[in-house]
Amino acid sequence: MVKIVSEGQNVNLQFTPELANDWKNAMLASSELNAGNYHYMTRRVLDSMNASQLVSKLWLVEELVKLDIKPKRVAILAGWFAQYIVPLLYDNFESIEWIKNFEIDQDVKEISYKFNKRYKDSNKYQCSIKDIMMKSLEEDFDIIINCACEHMYPMTKFYEWNPELQDPLYVLQSSDDDQYDDHINCVKDEFHLAEQANIVDIKYKGSKKLPNGMTRFMVIGK
Amino acid sequence: MNTILCVKWGDKYDRTYVEQLKNQCENNCSVPFNFYCLTDKPTQPYDVLLPTYWDKYYLEDRDFFWAYRKCYMFALNEDPQILPRIKGDKFLFLDLDVIIHQDLKYFFELPMDKPYIVRGWWNDTITVKSNFAKHKSTPINSSVIRWDRGQLETIVKKINKNAEVIFFTYPSVDNYFNHHWYNCWNEEGGFFKGFPKGDIYSWYKGNIFPEDMEKRKIREDHKICLFNNSAETNDVEELKSLW
Repeated sequence: MVKIVSEGQNVNLQFTPELANDWKNAMLASSELNAGNYHYMTRRVLDSMNASQLVSKLWLVEELVKLDIKPKRVAILAGWFAQYIVPLLYDNFESIEWIKNFEIDQDVKEISYKFNKRYKDSNKYQCSIKDIMMKSLEEDFDIIINCACEHMYPMTKFYEWNPELQDPLYVLQSSDDDQYDDHINCVKDEFHLAEQANIVDIKYKGSKKLPNGMTRFMVIGK
Repeated sequence: MNTILCVKWGDKYDRTYVEQLKNQCENNCSVPFNFYCLTDKPTQPYDVLLPTYWDKYYLEDRDFFWAYRKCYMFALNEDPQILPRIKGDKFLFLDLDVIIHQDLKYFFELPMDKPYIVRGWWNDTITVKSNFAKHKSTPINSSVIRWDRGQLETIVKKINKNAEVIFFTYPSVDNYFNHHWYNCWNEEGGFFKGFPKGDIYSWYKGNIFPEDMEKRKIREDHKICLFNNSAETNDVEELKSLW
């Protein structure tokens, strides 16, 4: 087993034969979804695997580890293929029993299952197609992770849809980069993110410059 | 009874567009029909005042093209205060800038197990799917909609329930429909059905991807030509003769 260790941090991604096999099959499946010579899904998968994606997920897990959080049931909102966040969570938190990724893009589901086949097959991972700003999650989670807040309506609407959630911990990331059409809800900084999401019991807040030059903000709290 | 509806809001299109559309319908529909224009400024007997209760959700700084007002017309039975004057059971909505080539009777005789909307066959399906989450490249177009009374009330209910999120998230009504009322992965499985290939084409974008994509070409063997919110129908001599 090879451990990919974040610089100076106590977080690792275990590069196991099982992970290698799943990722190889995911890349193969994405390359087969094409039109003519245009491998449209491969491009998207590569975008989802860049250094900035990994850094932002390592940062998230590092801060959760420092906070000594013991998550059991994790919801990931708009988690895309979730190829980094799912193994990072399982590799660093023995307490985790279940991770569910809520996505709106149906193309994502199949590839996400390829990347995370080892978890799906052992009933530890599911990808659900659902617009979480218009429907309830319909199950309980103790951690809600949303690394795509800039892509959606403020989290206050999510709370309205899910009053039955038992006081979960929220882990939110967003950006101030409004040059993209789909960045419909950028924030100025981590304070703005916390205020917009109505996080009052703040366990962590900070910002990080990513390798692609984008600044990301993160708030962890309730 | 058959009913043809259009929507005129603001000053983008002047009154002549409504009159020209009405004339086109009269010249190209061999079955009886009612005609109504839903508008913010009623002046004619066929005009019906548009409700405004969604206006409070319009986000000026987003610069979205806000065609959501056409969805009020789906609420004929929902609330007796909304559009109570509109009669009929079979509805056909037309954008103000369309050109009608053939008999509209065709639309009133469609099997209505599902409502119909324009499937922009000129869109590349791969682009549509890969841009789905980016809220771009929608494959459907609400310039022509066909429904029976009551069939689209569920859309109004959903908009009323989720107005803040919908108007914040989706830059156009077509994009909202694509996300929630169509299924670009299983086109037979969505709420809306697309009008078949050969019915409706786009002046600016073509007809069917990839084999018939010539732009700015009249196709009189099709039923309707779309202009996608342009006033060019008034400026091109070739098109004026078709009005």
